[in-house]
Amino acid sequence: MRDLPQPIADALEEAVFGERAVAYLQIDDANLAVIGAGGDLANYGLELAHPGQPVLEHAFFLEGLLPLAETPYVMPAVEVARGRSADLHFYRDDNCLWLVLLDVTAERDQSRRMQQKAYEMTLLEEKQAQLNRRLEATNAELRATQRDLLSSREALQLAHDRIQTELSDAAKYVRSLLPPPQTEPFAIDWRFTTCSELGGDAFGYHWIDRKHFALYLLDVCGHGVSPCLMSVGILHVLQSASLRDVDFRDPERVLAALNASYQMINLEDLFFTLWYGVYCPDTRRLDYSSAGHPPALLLDRGGARMQRLGSGSPPIGCMPNARYVGQHVEVPPRSKLYLFSDGAFEIQLPSGAMLNYEEFLECVRRAAMAHDHSDVDHLCDELMGLRACAAVEDDVSIVRFAF
Amino acid sequence: MTGTQPNLQKKICMLGSFGVGKTSLVRRFVESVFSETYLTTVGVKIDKKIVALGDRTMTLILWDVAGEDDISPLKMSYVRGAAGYVLVADGTRQPTLDVALSIRQRIEAEYGALPFVLLLNKSDLREQWQIAPQTLEELPSKGCTARLSSARTGEGVEQAFRDLALAISR
Repeated sequence: MRDLPQPIADALEEAVFGERAVAYLQIDDANLAVIGAGGDLANYGLELAHPGQPVLEHAFFLEGLLPLAETPYVMPAVEVARGRSADLHFYRDDNCLWLVLLDVTAERDQSRRMQQKAYEMTLLEEKQAQLNRRLEATNAELRATQRDLLSSREALQLAHDRIQTELSDAAKYVRSLLPPPQTEPFAIDWRFTTCSELGGDAFGYHWIDRKHFALYLLDVCGHGVSPCLMSVGILHVLQSASLRDVDFRDPERVLAALNASYQMINLEDLFFTLWYGVYCPDTRRLDYSSAGHPPALLLDRGGARMQRLGSGSPPIGCMPNARYVGQHVEVPPRSKLYLFSDGAFEIQLPSGAMLNYEEFLECVRRAAMAHDHSDVDHLCDELMGLRACAAVEDDVSIVRFAF
Repeated sequence: MTGTQPNLQKKICMLGSFGVGKTSLVRRFVESVFSETYLTTVGVKIDKKIVALGDRTMTLILWDVAGEDDISPLKMSYVRGAAGYVLVADGTRQPTLDVALSIRQRIEAEYGALPFVLLLNKSDLREQWQIAPQTLEELPSKGCTARLSSARTGEGVEQAFRDLALAISR
């Protein structure tokens, strides 16, 4: 053996046989039969392969390979039986095919441990990359959604701004329809504050004829454009006296006629309260009627006497057959008459409680007695100071007549 | 004597990228079991399973060949003598389908056209699925169709081997 001293050759042979469990099959591959067998055949489950037997019965892993034209041929790390892995070496001589099996189980296990780590790392990296791609895709979707939301928000803001502008313009228009304060023949002053959503307050006063002076204040339920439009329409009716066959000097008839014309069932459930009066300076008589409206307040000169001019009739539009009662009162000289909408006294205090109506009446009394001409300003300032929030929740209308 | 025909014995190779589930498919087919533990294959592991094909039987010698990776391409010597093969891709890893199709090309170049089935394995992991329907629709133009399989649930496994055996026996 390559001129090696016999002891070394023997040691090498012993090492190969010991570590590699050498075994062989001598095969007639034309007839698929075992010619001979030897070595550590049991290591590979081939101990029963004897000469003359069909080779594929024992070495089924050779299925399809025989006859083998191309030799020498090596098939590495084939796990043949009992978990043992072998390198299959094929050689040919003149008469037969030799298969030599060399055990590589230890190397296979070593490789498996390394390969296992490497594959697990690779699979983890792939999984991480997948997760990263998903996260990026999700982030991109979120960013797109955020952009859409911002666009929507901007569009909403524009729409909101436009609506606010239109509401503000509508409030200005209502204000433009109100008659200006006056000093002759009697002083009239008023304050009109609209809420942000626009309420349904409106008021007016005018001479019906040379002897009769109409004064009125109305409040359409709800907030927004619809109540506002309705209040403007009613204001126009009252200003132009355009109810057929109605004597506008007769408050009871005026309210009844309005109730006949403005039933809520025909008007998207809108109804309104109204205080309507007719003052005759010659007789100092005030005729009035109220449809669910807060009573007007008539204070004599010293403020000692305060009369509430109201009635228990329902708002206009709620009941088709509602009855409205006309009443009258004599107006003392230098007395003051105040008309209000409910926004004037429905005030939430910082404590969370609502302003007591009696306290409101005292505010009116104090303002009327202490300030002859600027009573409305002082009253508005005092009421505004009582509010928990600077913004008013409803239209506030206060009209004062100094007879 | 019975009417049964002589037993046929055929070599079938399990081929594909690493970690696609080739060994699990063989275990599901041969032993009807599934293990969540991933154990890589080195070299080749050989099993056999007898399938009935009408009045005949066929012994499938299953060569579970180590998966291909970037460093170690498929050793074509393992495929020598195979009567057919099972190409396996992992439906949750798109690149493994490309590897499977590449292996098919190399086999046809080396050994000519052989019967095969293409399995998109891990069909139970639908929420992680990566292979688009359009990709599957394009496969017939490349001369193959894919079928879904799951070594975990057993979906499509038995049928795939049976169909391959039938194709080989014709």
